[in-house]
Amino acid sequence: LCMVAACNAVPITELLDRASQRSDKLHSLSTTLTQELDSHFPPIGWMIMPRPSMCHTSSLQTPNDKEQALQVSESDLLSLARSLLKSWVDPLLVLSTSVNTLPHPAQSSISNKIQELQENSKSLGDGLDILSGKMGPAAQTVSLLPYSGGNDIGQDRISKLTNFHFLLSCFRRDSHKIDSFLKVLRCRAAKLQPEMC
Amino acid sequence: FFTVHANRTHYRPPGKPTRARCRSPEKETFTCWWEPGSDGGLPTTYALYYRKENSDTVYECPDYHTAGENSCFFNKNDTSIWINYNITVVATNALGSTFSDPVDIDVVYIVKPNPPEKVTVTVMEDKGWPFLRVSWEPPHKADTRSGWITLIYELRVTLEGEDDWEMHLAGQQKLFNIFSLRSGGTYLVQVRCRPDHGFWSEWSSTSYIKVPDYFHREKSVWIL
Repeated sequence: LCMVAACNAVPITELLDRASQRSDKLHSLSTTLTQELDSHFPPIGWMIMPRPSMCHTSSLQTPNDKEQALQVSESDLLSLARSLLKSWVDPLLVLSTSVNTLPHPAQSSISNKIQELQENSKSLGDGLDILSGKMGPAAQTVSLLPYSGGNDIGQDRISKLTNFHFLLSCFRRDSHKIDSFLKVLRCRAAKLQPEMC
Repeated sequence: FFTVHANRTHYRPPGKPTRARCRSPEKETFTCWWEPGSDGGLPTTYALYYRKENSDTVYECPDYHTAGENSCFFNKNDTSIWINYNITVVATNALGSTFSDPVDIDVVYIVKPNPPEKVTVTVMEDKGWPFLRVSWEPPHKADTRSGWITLIYELRVTLEGEDDWEMHLAGQQKLFNIFSLRSGGTYLVQVRCRPDHGFWSEWSSTSYIKVPDYFHREKSVWIL
């Protein structure tokens, strides 16, 4: 989002605006990827795909509606967004290494987008680190949710496609959460700019 | 009596309810609709059942009335996001029940807002040249102030009597100026909105505006 030294000069509203643009992009990418995978997904995959509650981040308590979300403090919202993002560093790596053997006709396009996903995720993470530094100690708390799925996404065609799709759909939900939390934060910070919200 | 008896062989269990689909206008409530199959010649009732991710409890639709016939409305208290709902519609008559195909939805992926409101169009002037200023408000149900939903807008304009609309993307702005007008023409303007991740709303109802005749002034500028 910006160089560490230069960031001190950038107001929080501006940083949050840039962060929201990144998280927006991140979620849009994951949606495009999901649709691309859907186009060649074996019907049996839908039946054997793990439930969303099996996502490695599902144990993190997050708000489930507007009322709950608007009650969460600024620092807790940022900490939730950072916890989710940091918990995806390892599984995103698994996606990027396993995409090379993904039996899918759009494999190279999927591969490029996964790389883009990683880059966006990295730069959003750096930006949120800087933001949390500016928002005080409570915003620095992070709950790390370890990914225990291993580096291998499967041997045969069906399990490769299914596990890849499952991981991506988990990421899609989490990136939507991150994006929603950051956009609520952006509006709270930009109270004086009615143009924005 | 004979007629009833003659028809009896035609009675059947109800046909399968189809095209079950759901939409949320603001990420806070949602509605599901379905199309009934045949009633099998008998009085048929419809019920919607749902199960939320992480729970085995099956609930029945909380409100069949608010959104009209063949629909189920979920109010704020019944709506969670980032949670999958598994939804099935069941048609029942005296001879049996038929289930629809189940639908799996997460409310965050089915957001389609209502159209923008209070669309106003005025003719303004800049250095003697007319332009249109279009302004509007977000649909009142969508809470854009808190950032819970982020909307972007698009407008389209056409001269009365023409077929092609000219499209303009306004981004998050709620104001847009349109230049290069034809003097003396009546313009039609519509606005629609889309959430950051979701579907376009319908177009707002048409606003009409007549641009005054600027012919003489155009001419005088031409002579200069």
